[in-house]
Amino acid sequence: VTESAPSDEGFIPAGLAALGIEADETDLAVMAAFHGLLWPPLAELLALDTGDVEPERCPDLSRGPRL
Amino acid sequence: MSEPLDMGLRAQAAAIAAGEVDPGELLDAALARIEERNPALNAVVETFPERSREMLAAAPAGPLHGVPLVIKDEWPLPWRAQRFGAAELMTPTAPGESGPYRVLRDAGATIVGVGNMHELGAGSTGALSYYGAAHNPWDTERCPGGSSSGPAAAVAGRLVAGAVGADGLGSVRLPAAYCGLTGLKPTFGRSAMEGHHLAPITNLIVSGPLCADAGDCRLLGSVLCGEELAAGDAAAGLRIGVVRDPVSEDVTPEVAAACEEAVEALRAATGGELRELALPDLEAASLAGILIINSEAMSGATPEKLNRLSPELSPIARGTLKYAMLLPAAAVTQAQRLRTLMRRRLAALFAEVDVIAWPTVPAPAPPLDAPVVELPSGTRSADQANVRGAALANLTGIPAISMPVGLSEDGLPLALQLQGAWGADELLLDAAEALERANGRRWVDAVPPLAEASATEA
Repeated sequence: VTESAPSDEGFIPAGLAALGIEADETDLAVMAAFHGLLWPPLAELLALDTGDVEPERCPDLSRGPRL
Repeated sequence: MSEPLDMGLRAQAAAIAAGEVDPGELLDAALARIEERNPALNAVVETFPERSREMLAAAPAGPLHGVPLVIKDEWPLPWRAQRFGAAELMTPTAPGESGPYRVLRDAGATIVGVGNMHELGAGSTGALSYYGAAHNPWDTERCPGGSSSGPAAAVAGRLVAGAVGADGLGSVRLPAAYCGLTGLKPTFGRSAMEGHHLAPITNLIVSGPLCADAGDCRLLGSVLCGEELAAGDAAAGLRIGVVRDPVSEDVTPEVAAACEEAVEALRAATGGELRELALPDLEAASLAGILIINSEAMSGATPEKLNRLSPELSPIARGTLKYAMLLPAAAVTQAQRLRTLMRRRLAALFAEVDVIAWPTVPAPAPPLDAPVVELPSGTRSADQANVRGAALANLTGIPAISMPVGLSEDGLPLALQLQGAWGADELLLDAAEALERANGRRWVDAVPPLAEASATEA
């Protein structure tokens, strides 16, 4: 887990407790590993400034965007 | 004539249509081949000879009349619900006539078996499955790729000449790459998807063909799309875009060399040109794809269901399902905004180039017992490395094709991916065929050791 990831010891148990999801030690180990891989790029994605991207209304993925 | 089962899909269909091959004998040969080779591959998780014979007996005269095929464990059949490679799904499934089943049946094909897949479609290696790992015919200790692991291993092992896979984040192209096949991810919405348990909500997943070469993918892809993916000369003067980014540069030297050679051969063969492109945020785009597909896959999940998951689910599936429940909604919203941005960037780029080329996978198939790859940037899990070059096509809806372009020192397939604009599936097939001609079909005709015996005997 990099410095930019919130500690899995806080984020994961808190999230599980809030939702009432049970997890054993194996679940927690897998979740911590996944968290370590996913969270740093996820934080980068959240930090990406897309404020000037006009949303595509009901995008039709079978066609290109209306420009 | 060579052993019919070792012929390609087009050749099998043509030989049956010409009365040179008896489809009943071909079906029996496929069932016998599955019995012989499947213990080493675990590519096919279920056969149903009586159902297959009934399909053949009722088969109309169609483009695939009498041709045996495998379909991934991702769609229901009238006699079998899909398991999705897992002990349990978040949404209920039941036997039924799925879209891929209907189009195969109406084309005269015979479904001979169900192909293995990576558990819940959530991996690019095929190492995890309710049915046990599938194995790569090029080296049975290696990953066949995923999530369409069984369809790829079945075609590469010459159990059948074609198989239907599904591609949500590269799940047709990645196993095609690992197994030395050609795999087409059609434009979103173009190929049959009805009956897939995520079909009503997915914006990423499509069905697609896995075959030995582009011509066979054109035939099976046309059936899946319900319209002819016509051959033409669209690849003449091909404008090939190359992106200087980790997707094309953080790859093994063998992959880089094989793909550069193939791109240059394609340029020369089509009288085309190469153009360097800038396409920022590819890493973020792959994460966006992961977030969106996770949100789709969690449809129907509740804390209560997560608290009573089947003990037969793998520990990885159990942990990742529970973690996916915690992902912030803001990240999925941001992923959708990035999707819009990437779609607009691609629309602009496809005014300048016809295709964008980069390696399908950054390294050849890793060992099943240690699915990691060594890249210039360091050691990565194969899943982490593979999604980087695969997700863009799913995120944005564009078509993409993977084709074999070489073998590693260890004798493992290397592959190039071409991506085209929305609806340019035919162009991708034309380009792949141009490359096959340019390299004398060397790589599409290569046969893995496991399948060599019968091909040589014939």
